[in-house]
Amino acid sequence: MKQTLGYLALPLLMAAAFTTEVRADGETIAVFTKNQTNPFFQTVRVGADNMAKSLNGKTLQYIPTKPDSIPEQLSQIEDVVVKKPSAIVFTPVDYKAMVPGVEKINEAKIPVVNITDRSAGGKFLSFVGADDYSLGLETARFLLKTLGGKGNIVIIEGVKGSLTNVDRVRGFNDAIKENPGAKLLASQPGNYQRLQALQVMENLMQSNAQIDGVLAANDAMAVGAIEALDGANRKAQVIGINGTKEAIDAIKSGKLLASGDYNGFAQGCLGTMMAIRALRNQPVISEIVLKPTVITKDNFGPFDVPLEQRTCPTFEDAGKLGAK
Amino acid sequence: MTDITKETMMPPRSFLSQDAIQLFYRLLAALLICAVLAVFSDSFLSLGNILNVLRQASLTFFIASGLTLVVLTAGLDLSVGANVALSACIAGTVIHKTGSPALGILTGLACGGIVGLLNGIMVTALRIPSFIATYGMLWVLNGLTYWYMAGETLHGFPAGFRQIGSGYLFGLPIPVYLLLVFLGIGTLFAQRTIWGQEIYAIGANPVAARLSGIPVARRLLLVYAVSGIMAGLASIIFLSRLNSAEADIGESLTLPAIAAVLIGGTSLFGGVGTVFGTFIGALILTLVLNGMNLLSVSANWQPLVTGIIVILAVWLDMKTRRRAQ
Repeated sequence: MKQTLGYLALPLLMAAAFTTEVRADGETIAVFTKNQTNPFFQTVRVGADNMAKSLNGKTLQYIPTKPDSIPEQLSQIEDVVVKKPSAIVFTPVDYKAMVPGVEKINEAKIPVVNITDRSAGGKFLSFVGADDYSLGLETARFLLKTLGGKGNIVIIEGVKGSLTNVDRVRGFNDAIKENPGAKLLASQPGNYQRLQALQVMENLMQSNAQIDGVLAANDAMAVGAIEALDGANRKAQVIGINGTKEAIDAIKSGKLLASGDYNGFAQGCLGTMMAIRALRNQPVISEIVLKPTVITKDNFGPFDVPLEQRTCPTFEDAGKLGAK
Repeated sequence: MTDITKETMMPPRSFLSQDAIQLFYRLLAALLICAVLAVFSDSFLSLGNILNVLRQASLTFFIASGLTLVVLTAGLDLSVGANVALSACIAGTVIHKTGSPALGILTGLACGGIVGLLNGIMVTALRIPSFIATYGMLWVLNGLTYWYMAGETLHGFPAGFRQIGSGYLFGLPIPVYLLLVFLGIGTLFAQRTIWGQEIYAIGANPVAARLSGIPVARRLLLVYAVSGIMAGLASIIFLSRLNSAEADIGESLTLPAIAAVLIGGTSLFGGVGTVFGTFIGALILTLVLNGMNLLSVSANWQPLVTGIIVILAVWLDMKTRRRAQ
C-alpha cells in the first residue's frame, strides 16, 4: 500500500518541484512481455526502458517466470491493477486468452498500449507491432532471390499451432509459390528449439541429396540447421527470423544469409512513447505496423550495436515507420 | 551385517531374468519400427542415417541413464532438463572466460552433481517426496538460469571442444563411443555390483531394504548425485554439439528422458527395469522422429504419434509383465 501511495505521489511531487510547462513526468509504465527466454523480448524491454528514461519516466517489468504462461500473466495483471501504474504497455502471452485480463485493466481505468501481438479484444490507446506473415514472406523472398528463383528448399517450423509460426510459415510458402523453379522438399517441426532443428536437418539431409535453401522460423533453429550442415560438410543458404545478436554474428561471418527482424527495440520504444504521450495529453498514433527488415551482410550495421546504445525513433519517425 | 548375508537375501539379478524377456520385447519393437521405416524410406538403412540415429539418441540416453537409477528406487527426477540448461550455461561461461575446455567440462559435471546432491538431500534428510523436491528444484534452476542469461545466448566454442559432440573417431561419432561406455558402466553397475543390487532392493521394498542393513539414505543420495552428474555430462555434449547455450533448453529435454526410461520398461513403482532398456527407449523415441522426418510426415502428426508410442509402450509393458508373473 505504501508503495502504491509512493507511485501515486511521485508524479505530483515531481510536478510540484518543477513548475515549468512540463505537465507531469515521472510516470511509471508497467511493461508486460511474454518470457525471459526469447531475446526478442529483451530488445522490447530495453527499448521501453530507453524511451521511458529519455522522457523522465520509468518502467516496471512484468515477465512470467514460466515462459508464455497464461495464468501467470493473468495474476500479474491482478497485481498491477492493485499497484496502479500510470500506464501499461502490454504484450499478451496469448492473443485470445488474455482478453479477460485486458478487460480488467480497462475496468481499472489504466491506460494501456498493445504491442507485438494484437489482442483479440479490449480497449487500447494504440497498437504497435509488425506482422509475422510479411516477415516470413520477405525473408523467404530474399532467400529465393539469392538462389536465382530456383532450388530445393526445406522449412523448419516453430511450435505448431502457435500464431507466430502459422503466419511465418504461410509467408514462407507463398514466397516459394511465387517461384516456379523452387521446390519445397519438406516442412518439418523444430519447435523453435536449436537441438530439434539440428536433428531435423540431420535427418532431412539423409533423404535429400541436394538442399539449396533452409527457411527457419527463428534464429536459434537457423543456427542449429547451420551446425548440422557444417557437421555433414554440406552447404545451403539459411535464413532465420528475429535478428538476434547470434544471428548478426552469423551473418557477419557469412554462415547465415539473412534474418528477418520486426524491430522489438522500436516496438518497446514506440509503445512506451505512445503511453507517455497519452498521459501528457499529446497526440498519439493509434496504429503503427512496422515493416519487416531483412538483415543481410549489406545492412547489419545498425543491428550490430549493443542494445543499450541504440537510439529510439522520434515521434516524427514513428509517423513514417508504417502508421496507418 | 556382512556381505554374505546380503548375498543370500538378494541373489544377483541375472540377465536372463524377467528383465531379459522385457528387453527382448523392446528390441523387437525397435526392430519392427526399423523394418517399417526401411520399407518406406530408401535412405533409412544407410550407414549415415544409422549413425545419425545413434548420435541423436545418445543425448537423451545420457540424461535418461542416470534417471533410470532414480526411477529404480521408485523416485523421479524432474529437474534433469533444467539441470542440463544451467550446467551448460555455466560450463559455457567458464570456457569463454578461461579458454579452457577442461575446466569447463569439470565445472559442468560439478554443477550437475551438486544439483543432484541437493535433490538427494531433500529426498533423504528432509524427506520430501522426490517428485515434489525435484519439481521445486526445476523452478529454482530455471529461475537461476533465466536470471543469469538475461535473454542472451552463449555461442562459439573452441574447435577441439566441439569434437566431443560433433567429431568422429574411426568413422563413428564420438558421442556414440560415450554412449557405449556409459551403457556398459550403467549396466555393470546396476546388475553386477552390490550397490546396484541394493538400489533395486530399495525400489522393490524400502522397509525390507532398511531392515536388511542397506544404508538407504546413502544409496539414495548416490542415485540422485549420479542423475545430476549425467545431466552435467549431457550439458557438455549439448554445448559441444550445438556450439551454444541458452536458458530455455531444459523443457525440451526432460520429458523425452522420462519417456525413454518408461518406454525402456523401468517401472515408476521402482525395483524393475534396466539401463539397457532405457537405451532402447531412447532409440525408439529417436527412430520415430527420424522416420517421420524422412517420410515428411506433417508437423501436425508428430507429437500425436510420439504420444501414442509412449502410451502403447507402457501399456504393453504392464500387459506382458502381468502375464510373466
